[in-house]
Amino acid sequence: MKIFYKIWSSRTKEFALIIFAACFLSCNKLVEVGPPNNKIVDANVYLNDATATSVLTALYTGLGKTGLTNGLLSAPLYSGLLSDELMVSSNNATLSQYYTNALNNTDTTVPDYWSTLYSNTSIFTTNAALDGITTSTTLTPAVKQQLLGEAKFMRAFYYFYLVNFFGDVPLVLNTDYKANTLLARTPKATVYAQIIKDLTDAQSLLSPNFLDGTLLTNSSERLRPSKWAAIALLARVYLYTNDFANAEKQASLLINSSTQFGLTSLAGAFLTAGSGNNEAIWQLQNTVTTSNTPEGRYFIPPSAGSLQQVYLNPILLNAFEKGDQRKTNWIGSQILNGVTNYYAFKYKNNKGGAVTEYETVFRLAEQYLIRAEAEVNGAGGEILGAVSDLNVIRNRAGLPNYTGTVDKPSLLAAILHERQVELFTEWGHRWFDLKRTGNIDAVMTVVAPQKGGTWSSYKALFPIPLTELQKDQNLTQNAGY
Amino acid sequence: MNFLNVQHHRMLRQTFLVMKITTLLLLISIMTVSAATNAQQITLKTKGASLQEVLSKISDQTGFNVFYSQDLLTKSKPVTVDLRNTPLATALNEILAGQDLTFNINDHSVVIKEKELSFIDKLKNKVTESIQNIDVTGRVIGEDRLPLAGATVQIKDGNNSTATDANGFFTLKNVEPNATIVISFIGYDKKEIPATTNPGAIKLSAATSPLDEVKVIAYGQTTDRLSVGNVSSISAKQIAEQPVNNPLLTLEGRVPGVIINQVNGLPGSAIKIQVQSQNSINSGNNPLYVVDGVPYAASLPTNLESVLGRGNPAPAPDNTYGNPFSYLNPDDIESISVLKDADATSIYGSRAANGAVLITTKKGKAGKTQIDINLQSGVGKDAKFIDMMNTQQFLAMRRQAFANDGLPVPSIVTSPFDYNYDIDGQWDTKHNTNWQKVLLGGSAQYTDVNGTVSGGTENIQFLAGGTYHRETTVFPGNAADTKASVHFSLNSSSENKKFRFQLTGSYLEDSSLLPRFDLTSAAIELPPNAPMLFNPDGSLNWAPTPSGTSSFSQNPMLAFLTPYQSKVKNLMSNAVLSYEFFSGLTLRSNFGYTNLQQNEFSPGPLSAIDPEDRPTSVSEAQFGNDNSQSWIVEPQLNYSRTIGKGHLNVLLGGTIQQSNINNYQILGFGFASDRLLNNIQSASTIQALNSSNADYKYAALFSRLNYDWDGKYLINLSARRDGSSRFGAANRFHDFWSMGAGWVFSEEKWLKEKASWLSFGKIKGSYGTTGNDQIGNYSYLSLYSALTAQVPYQSVTALRPLGLPNPYLQWELTKKLSIGMDLGFLKDRIILGADYFHYRSSNELLGYSLPNFVGFSGLTSNFPATIQSTGYEFTLTTVIIRHKDFTWTTNFNLTVPVDFMKLIAFPGLATSTYASSYVIGQSIYNGKLYHFMGVDPTRGVYQFSDGKGGVTSTPESDYKNTAYIPINQQPRAYGGITNTIHYKALTLDFLFQFRKQTGANPFKFGNGIAGAPVTNQPSFLANGWTKPGDLVSIQRYSTNFNYNGPFSDLMSSDAVIEDASFIKLKNASLSWQLPDNWVKRIGLRSVRVYGQGQNLLTFTKYSNGVDPETQSPLTLPPLRVITFGAQLGL
Repeated sequence: MKIFYKIWSSRTKEFALIIFAACFLSCNKLVEVGPPNNKIVDANVYLNDATATSVLTALYTGLGKTGLTNGLLSAPLYSGLLSDELMVSSNNATLSQYYTNALNNTDTTVPDYWSTLYSNTSIFTTNAALDGITTSTTLTPAVKQQLLGEAKFMRAFYYFYLVNFFGDVPLVLNTDYKANTLLARTPKATVYAQIIKDLTDAQSLLSPNFLDGTLLTNSSERLRPSKWAAIALLARVYLYTNDFANAEKQASLLINSSTQFGLTSLAGAFLTAGSGNNEAIWQLQNTVTTSNTPEGRYFIPPSAGSLQQVYLNPILLNAFEKGDQRKTNWIGSQILNGVTNYYAFKYKNNKGGAVTEYETVFRLAEQYLIRAEAEVNGAGGEILGAVSDLNVIRNRAGLPNYTGTVDKPSLLAAILHERQVELFTEWGHRWFDLKRTGNIDAVMTVVAPQKGGTWSSYKALFPIPLTELQKDQNLTQNAGY
Repeated sequence: MNFLNVQHHRMLRQTFLVMKITTLLLLISIMTVSAATNAQQITLKTKGASLQEVLSKISDQTGFNVFYSQDLLTKSKPVTVDLRNTPLATALNEILAGQDLTFNINDHSVVIKEKELSFIDKLKNKVTESIQNIDVTGRVIGEDRLPLAGATVQIKDGNNSTATDANGFFTLKNVEPNATIVISFIGYDKKEIPATTNPGAIKLSAATSPLDEVKVIAYGQTTDRLSVGNVSSISAKQIAEQPVNNPLLTLEGRVPGVIINQVNGLPGSAIKIQVQSQNSINSGNNPLYVVDGVPYAASLPTNLESVLGRGNPAPAPDNTYGNPFSYLNPDDIESISVLKDADATSIYGSRAANGAVLITTKKGKAGKTQIDINLQSGVGKDAKFIDMMNTQQFLAMRRQAFANDGLPVPSIVTSPFDYNYDIDGQWDTKHNTNWQKVLLGGSAQYTDVNGTVSGGTENIQFLAGGTYHRETTVFPGNAADTKASVHFSLNSSSENKKFRFQLTGSYLEDSSLLPRFDLTSAAIELPPNAPMLFNPDGSLNWAPTPSGTSSFSQNPMLAFLTPYQSKVKNLMSNAVLSYEFFSGLTLRSNFGYTNLQQNEFSPGPLSAIDPEDRPTSVSEAQFGNDNSQSWIVEPQLNYSRTIGKGHLNVLLGGTIQQSNINNYQILGFGFASDRLLNNIQSASTIQALNSSNADYKYAALFSRLNYDWDGKYLINLSARRDGSSRFGAANRFHDFWSMGAGWVFSEEKWLKEKASWLSFGKIKGSYGTTGNDQIGNYSYLSLYSALTAQVPYQSVTALRPLGLPNPYLQWELTKKLSIGMDLGFLKDRIILGADYFHYRSSNELLGYSLPNFVGFSGLTSNFPATIQSTGYEFTLTTVIIRHKDFTWTTNFNLTVPVDFMKLIAFPGLATSTYASSYVIGQSIYNGKLYHFMGVDPTRGVYQFSDGKGGVTSTPESDYKNTAYIPINQQPRAYGGITNTIHYKALTLDFLFQFRKQTGANPFKFGNGIAGAPVTNQPSFLANGWTKPGDLVSIQRYSTNFNYNGPFSDLMSSDAVIEDASFIKLKNASLSWQLPDNWVKRIGLRSVRVYGQGQNLLTFTKYSNGVDPETQSPLTLPPLRVITFGAQLGL
């Protein structure tokens, strides 16, 4: 005690006091930091139009950023390899695995559609944006409405691909990880119901005009989802869910809007909308300068001598009727070692620099084929309408009118074939068509061995990544994996 | 109200007054320091001389007049002093010690006068005289004749004790004339002298027992004799013996409880360090690093990915960019201490849950100015190559693969899409290259030149040094890492030693130019018949096919076309100011500042792209700029005094620290020419890849109370309150504490008499808490950041959510219990240490794993589990032979972990995302592996137990039921033995490091699927399955990926687990101190020549020539380095 008294009574008391008092009093200050100056706190993001728009723009930026081997934009590549559209010419392990239909649940890192589609460049952000925008009171009403529409549309767009790749998937509609962590898979039908609900909402929220980055002025390009994009996807979803009346109704909305939409020449079908391509419904701007579109860069050989990793599969080449101009216009060739290789040439620009083409997500030709198929299946017996829609597409390709039997099975086969040669290497159409029409086993049993693989029905769906199953005990694997 | 105001004002005024006085004091002290440098110096040796005689000598030496009255000297006592270059005032103090006289120094004159005694002193004198006891006044100095402040002076077997003041003086009052006085000081041997009034200068000599070697601990020093904590340290000498690039690597095998792995053999590579245990599951397992009192970054800021961070074991995620200690010069380091238990670390509170590593740099010593030059040069080699297939074996395997697949061997002529260049006729099937020889067979040059000047006087000591260091790689070419650094230290004190000032600084520049990737994987994987690297004209060989396609796109020399260049500037500085108010009470503060700046350049020239793809390709270059800086201020108040036979030390302090990390990376592409890649201006497009800026603030108050009763009973208490900006407002602060106690039972009389063979015995124990805030900054905020793109979509910047925020983050807590015993036998010739540790961590901070479908794969969270780690550490130091010309000392250390991160409790485990990965009662690091069941003789694929009594080749498809074997791949024992042998002027020192462990050997069944295109395999793989019925150990060769599944399952099975224990001759050095007469003849002070080697030999059962430490065939292992050098003293 005496010692302490001695310290305390000496003059040093004041020194000690100053130091420690200063420290105590300002302690909280000493460990307070402001937010980082290169990031924005969420509450501020949805306060104004510009930053709120930036959040939705991130989704399109994200899509336009990945090449053809990653993310959702790789759908043409991997589904083309899985089905009968493409063939591998390199020793790339991932490509070969898809090509030989040899996926397993531990090798799902590339392209990892599961994680990508749920991530902060996809569904998570649409959920966060829907929360933030709905509660925001400071946004311009028109902007707020368009953004809500875009978020709902994009969420539906991502879920459409998830259910088609994986079947039943967890339906995550908010950002609450505590509530979502242990979700089980939601039946496909319920997911589709949500997709239809989102798209119906989006249809009424989204602008009928094509907007620029401010969301307040119109643009000559069709780079932001509009009401028409929502309709196009809705038509497709109704077709996939066998609601033929609605599919026909939605497709007609687009086909009948002739002031805005019309088929172009084959050569013009993938050009920028701004250059007069009225066939485009929604396109994506490439956000890298090294190429116009991922397809152009990936499929077209950069020089005569370069061996591409993938070429078109002979099965596809042989599927074209004689005189089909799509075979000459949308397919390119190169001669290596005296052998001709064929590659997809829908996108013709394989360079960066001046922008002539945009990645086309929806185009009018698909809507004709959707309506044709809906008409054949529909209760209304508008089978002749189907033939006429089919002929629109055939004629554009320089082919004569359909001359086959006019009955349901023949026409459905003709439409499936027409989709094969019209929509090849676009957004996974062929793979999805084989699955939804029930033709997959018949086709793949023949095709898979030709590719050096084997076929089983379970391979129509992707495996759920094993790591996801291990983290969420309520998830189940797709049968067969 | 008014009254309060007045009082308030008065307080303020007082405060200002105190501050003024402080400033004045500081100013005076600084001036005194500068005056001291010009002061008169006295050199004088007398024995029993009269005071008059001595004073006249002073007058002679200084030219000062010395005034005194004769009758003053009549009572004077004879003077015994030994002064060398001692400042006048100090000299007079020593001369007049015990004389009842004092002095004044005026302008060129000294006045001697009678000491004015206070009334109490006079009274005391009267009393003292009456019982005839004496006052002992003397001065305690070290071997360098500098005063030792704070030495304990006590009466043997009595309760009277005191401590020396700043100038080494003491007065022990009221001493019985026949008593014995014991003087002790940390790092020195005890000395006993008979009590006399004026014993003069008492010289202590440096400690001879290893138990008394000084160890640096948090905010102070200790010795093994007096410590109650678990602290291990190594010295400059041990660091100098090892030709390594990163000073932390010198700890391996020498310090118990510490595992350090170098992830690859390139200069500057990342390392992985583990102190006793990992306390955190996956975040923040770095110990706290402190260099000269200033915290040093454990990791480099995010920057461009380089070869430095790639290797095995995979470095911690925050260490994949290399290691910041590569930018600290090992030559500048005096000692490294590793603090492990709660007693040693809890004063560092929140940051030392994983232990603390304290680095102390070299300081100057008083004495003649000395120049030391050290030159060292040598070579490094890849010690062992793997036996790979030659062309004949390789092509046989490939042909068999095609046969197994039922495919014809392709031919370049007939097969248009063929890429099987190795076998289709494109590459010469007769050609045979040992790629390991070509790519890894070179010699890495090692050069280190270091020069130091040091010296000083009693009041000022300095040291300044510079180092040049260069290391190349074993790869072809001249890729090198070059460092140049300077280091200085300045110590000064005022004449009266009350004010002290220390300034230390170092600056290092590193320039590294390394290949983009480690060529080891190319050396292993390239087929032996792959083409020549270069064309005859010296250009890179792309080996084009007749149609112009490049067949050799994987030419490893591409790594040199796209080298990774890094330039680092590292500045570290620290100032310590201290003032002693009165004997025992010192106020000190250190002020530290560090700044690490890294500039990186990673080119992607067009010339590195296949010629046929160049038309549609662009050149690119990445530029990185990273800066991390921090400052720290730590005011401390230290009070020490003796109480009875005990010594009390109280420390109170505070920390204020701020760090800022700032970095950005830019990508430029479309350069007009490959020659312009370094100029970002000539890029046609520029894109920001990443930009981040983070602030970190940290503040703390701490205190420690240490009491040592007669060197017998030791108590150490510490407490700390911490605040960190990494937590949300509600949980910023947390308290940590520890208590430790020790009993030196060998000091007990009853034992001393009975067991004279036991020279030392101590039991110690401590218990306390430490924490961890090693999580990212801002984890509690929900943030959006820019998603950058080369072309902004519709000219709009994109923003996206960055992660899941967690505002409820709390401090992680580790409770550490340690018990230990130290024993010394035969006058400390044998010293045995044993420690047991028992740590429990709860509320772990980690990236809590979430299924990806919630949006992110995890978030930073407190983990509701308790993890336990326990283990034993043993050290044994033996002086086997101690002879004038021949000594042999061994140091042995052994660590035996018992539980390594064992999961003790986890409420809600079954419903968490960890349900299928963790089991209560098992280490969370126990890998769950499939059980291997051999090769299926019918299908020729690997198969595994399905857990239901059968076998399967797809064990993952039913992963819930598959049989798993939990396997502990953590070391079960590790340590090292150092032998030091001196024979006359020769010194031989060698270190064997050992580790007992099981580990996976990824090469046990070859490198991926055997037979797959263009990948070579080890030669033992030449016996695969070919037809049904074959009973072999290797699955069928195949050219496609259908058999990839069973192979990757094999890698996750117990089949690849084997004994990975090893003994390494980690280090050996032999040196010879040249005889003095030879050296003097060439005009030098000393010359030592030496040779030393690192990673010299490895003894292991681990198979196939893979290094058991890195356990990866595709990573360059740490090199075998042999150097020779000379150390010259001028």
